[in-house]
Amino acid sequence: MSELISSSIAEGSGNLDLEKIFRWFDLTEEDRACTVELGELTDDVGEHIIEAFYAHLLNDETAARHFRDDAHIAQVKRGQMRYFRELVSADLNDAYVADRRRIGSIHERTGVTPTLYIGSYAYYLNRLAHVVLERMDEDPHKAFHLVMSLFKIAHFDMSLALETYVDAREEAIQARERELSELPTPVLQLRPGLLLIPVVGTLDSHRARALTVQLLEGIQEHRASAVVLDITGVAAVDSAVANHLIQTMAAARLMGALSVLTGLSAEVAQSLVKVGVTGEALNTAGDLQRGIEMAEQLLKD
Amino acid sequence: MAVKVPILKQGKVLIASIQEDLSDSDILDLQHRILEDVIRCRAEAVIIDVSAIGILDSFGTKTLSEIAYSVRLRGAKLVIVGIQPDVALSMVLLGLTLPDIPTALDLDRGLALINGG
Repeated sequence: MSELISSSIAEGSGNLDLEKIFRWFDLTEEDRACTVELGELTDDVGEHIIEAFYAHLLNDETAARHFRDDAHIAQVKRGQMRYFRELVSADLNDAYVADRRRIGSIHERTGVTPTLYIGSYAYYLNRLAHVVLERMDEDPHKAFHLVMSLFKIAHFDMSLALETYVDAREEAIQARERELSELPTPVLQLRPGLLLIPVVGTLDSHRARALTVQLLEGIQEHRASAVVLDITGVAAVDSAVANHLIQTMAAARLMGALSVLTGLSAEVAQSLVKVGVTGEALNTAGDLQRGIEMAEQLLKD
Repeated sequence: MAVKVPILKQGKVLIASIQEDLSDSDILDLQHRILEDVIRCRAEAVIIDVSAIGILDSFGTKTLSEIAYSVRLRGAKLVIVGIQPDVALSMVLLGLTLPDIPTALDLDRGLALINGG
């Protein structure tokens, strides 16, 4: 799953229109030059800031929980050092974007929240800005300019990571939805000619379509004369799905099978009435037992 | 023109078994012949078997329902048998649910329906 996510992210980054994004962030060649200059100026303090940064980080209980032991901290510190060297080297190409997104996805998976991420970033930038100002106190105007350029790149950088957060979350939600919609709806044969289809869970239009196909093919396969569709386990249906259920039962009749709908909750009954179904064209029964009795009665007639 | 769909007579029942996808004129021809034969053979019932048809377009569906209702006006009972899942669904989506026309899963069941009812 994680490979899947990172590979899809790597693919996605190829489609990014970097030039357009730079324009949006007002990120010019000049800014990049400034940042490189800044990098030379602050290269020796990077380690110092990171030390301070980690002291700050480990003070926070939530943040500290992300680290297993000292070796882990040392490893992450090295990664951090590289991260900021790359930031100020300002070599912003597709590979850079892919790398940032990869890091973002690691953060997302290990549970580093956006708040933690941006807070840490802000702390680092703040410290760095102070160092720059101290070192260039003879030309504060220039110093301000350098720091602003760095901020632009940093914001660009953060946006990459946050996009990854959103993408990963989206991916997770979609996977969940796929799982739900693939929940099988069994077609059970109660006795020769009589099928029971219990529907449990959310009935969205995607699943309703799958249900239709299963029901109609089940009629053919089992040579069924009657189908009991039990929707006790369905909390709510929207009007589109309600319509779909009605159509499915009409299609079943065209194939020569009677259908009985059972287990309508109060909400479902109300939404059926709203789409104009009054039950005249439908065989409905209050509960499954009565539904089966009704189907057997219909078969006898 | 070659007859695409033979109409067989079995007792008081006429059986038209459609074996291939029909063009519009084939369907109209079938409609015409069924309505003639109902009277000529003094049939009490007609079974149209569509189990070999995988796709039925809107014209075909509409004509099929017209055949059904007009056979009834000619004084015989009509049963459509063997409607496939895809066909059933597309008919419903077109709004053609044929509410008063008896249907059955296959020819066996169709005959049973006529003899039983």
